[in-house]
Amino acid sequence: MDNSIFQVYEDEIQSLEEEITLLAEKYEDSQQETTFFSDKEILMSIKSFQREFLGESEGHESSSNLKALLESLETDLSFLMKFTGIQFTSHSKKTVEKTRNRTVRKHRLSGNCHSLSFQLEFQLLEMQNKDNVAAVVTDLSIAMEFGEDSDLSKFVSRSFSSYAQWRKHRRCTFLHFKNRSWTEHNISSQSIKHLLCQSSTIKKKKSDNLQMLIFPPVFPFVLTSSINNMDLI
Amino acid sequence: GVFAHLEMLEAQAHETAVKEEEMEQRAEKLARLKARVQELRLQRDKLRAKVDLQQNRQLEKGGVVSNPTQPTAQAVLEWKTKSLKAMLQVFYLTGISGKLTKQGVCFCIITAYESTYLDSYYLDLVIKTAVQIHRHSIPIFIPLEQLAKKYLQTDIRRFLSVLSDHLNAYVGRRYQADQLQEHFSDQIEGTVQRNSLCNLLVFNYKVSSKRKTFPFHVRLLYGDLCCSLPTEVVISCTPDAPKSLAETAAAHSDLFRRMALHKAFRYFSSAEQS
Repeated sequence: MDNSIFQVYEDEIQSLEEEITLLAEKYEDSQQETTFFSDKEILMSIKSFQREFLGESEGHESSSNLKALLESLETDLSFLMKFTGIQFTSHSKKTVEKTRNRTVRKHRLSGNCHSLSFQLEFQLLEMQNKDNVAAVVTDLSIAMEFGEDSDLSKFVSRSFSSYAQWRKHRRCTFLHFKNRSWTEHNISSQSIKHLLCQSSTIKKKKSDNLQMLIFPPVFPFVLTSSINNMDLI
Repeated sequence: GVFAHLEMLEAQAHETAVKEEEMEQRAEKLARLKARVQELRLQRDKLRAKVDLQQNRQLEKGGVVSNPTQPTAQAVLEWKTKSLKAMLQVFYLTGISGKLTKQGVCFCIITAYESTYLDSYYLDLVIKTAVQIHRHSIPIFIPLEQLAKKYLQTDIRRFLSVLSDHLNAYVGRRYQADQLQEHFSDQIEGTVQRNSLCNLLVFNYKVSSKRKTFPFHVRLLYGDLCCSLPTEVVISCTPDAPKSLAETAAAHSDLFRRMALHKAFRYFSSAEQS
């Protein structure tokens, strides 16, 4: 008698279980990505959540856990934003592809870094290897607004147009500048459109007032050195 | 005679009984598996329908969907928690993340090369009257103490930024050597030799000229530890190599100085083919 018939069923069971897991995750991801609650709604939920569980002894523990988790996450996030100077004002993502070993998500981020506001869009590919998860960013596009700070915009444009002459090369970043309000005529005449950095992220201290800090490989930011060190205690 | 015959019949009966039991067990197992498959198929179909419905609703409303039923406070808070976690994940992409601890902060430096994220390193800082490094996972060949002495007390951001530069450059150099070893092993003779800091690479590769191949010996020195391109490139050929190869060596040397190792190899591989 041959056991191959068992194998056929067992294989189908395994494949169905995987498919079910994936579908459930897809559903959850989609729910998360298309829902939005305002801060006001969050606050109201916290209050009503506490009221609901105030009486029950077992419920109280889980409610305080959720609330504690929420607070701890908020604290960490607020610290990071203060420390790095990067304030994210909105973040949306959409899962474009999800299989057993591969997840591709489109991210849209907006925020500001001190007085400089930006918008980023990119695709993040995550692949499950045997021991770890590999992540790659593709299709990065950055839009920045310089407003009236002409020094800043001049500096950034000078930096990016002259990067090729720089001898220090580090990581590779794909930069596609789509800017709406270039204020200086210098910038528009330079027409910085499509910069493919064969070399890496650019970190250079140019003038006394400006220090450019680029975190690899996604975000270019300009920090003014007049910002005080944050008090960490 | 009779006794032996009886024994034989007993043995036959026993064998038959065992076979019957086996068949019963197999039938039971088969039935169980079939039932499980049916159960799972049903579950899968239900989920598929649920996901399709969800996608159709989203297409209709085009974007943010308002909940048809009033969500519970718990659901709202769980949404917010997931949302905050996603935001913290985004910070990973910037190359630096962190978490407040009872005694200070635990920073995480995430390295990357050419849009590919590579290793992460952590740094657990204790902040009392001075800033101290409590624990870390920085490799020993990175001059952590030196950098800490210079910047840690006065400018933490600068300290992290410079440390991040060192780590990213190291990881970038290592990545290039790995890529070279992995994708151009047919051209490399032996292995790419490197030190732990990956700022000294030595290897031999084959260059062809007039249907003969000659070995080139390369020594790459990365003098700037915050840089993933070499500051010094020495290429030497064997004495029997034709003089025209000196030009090739110079061209390759220039390429190695300007672009990533594996990219340089890709470049002259395709140039050779054309």
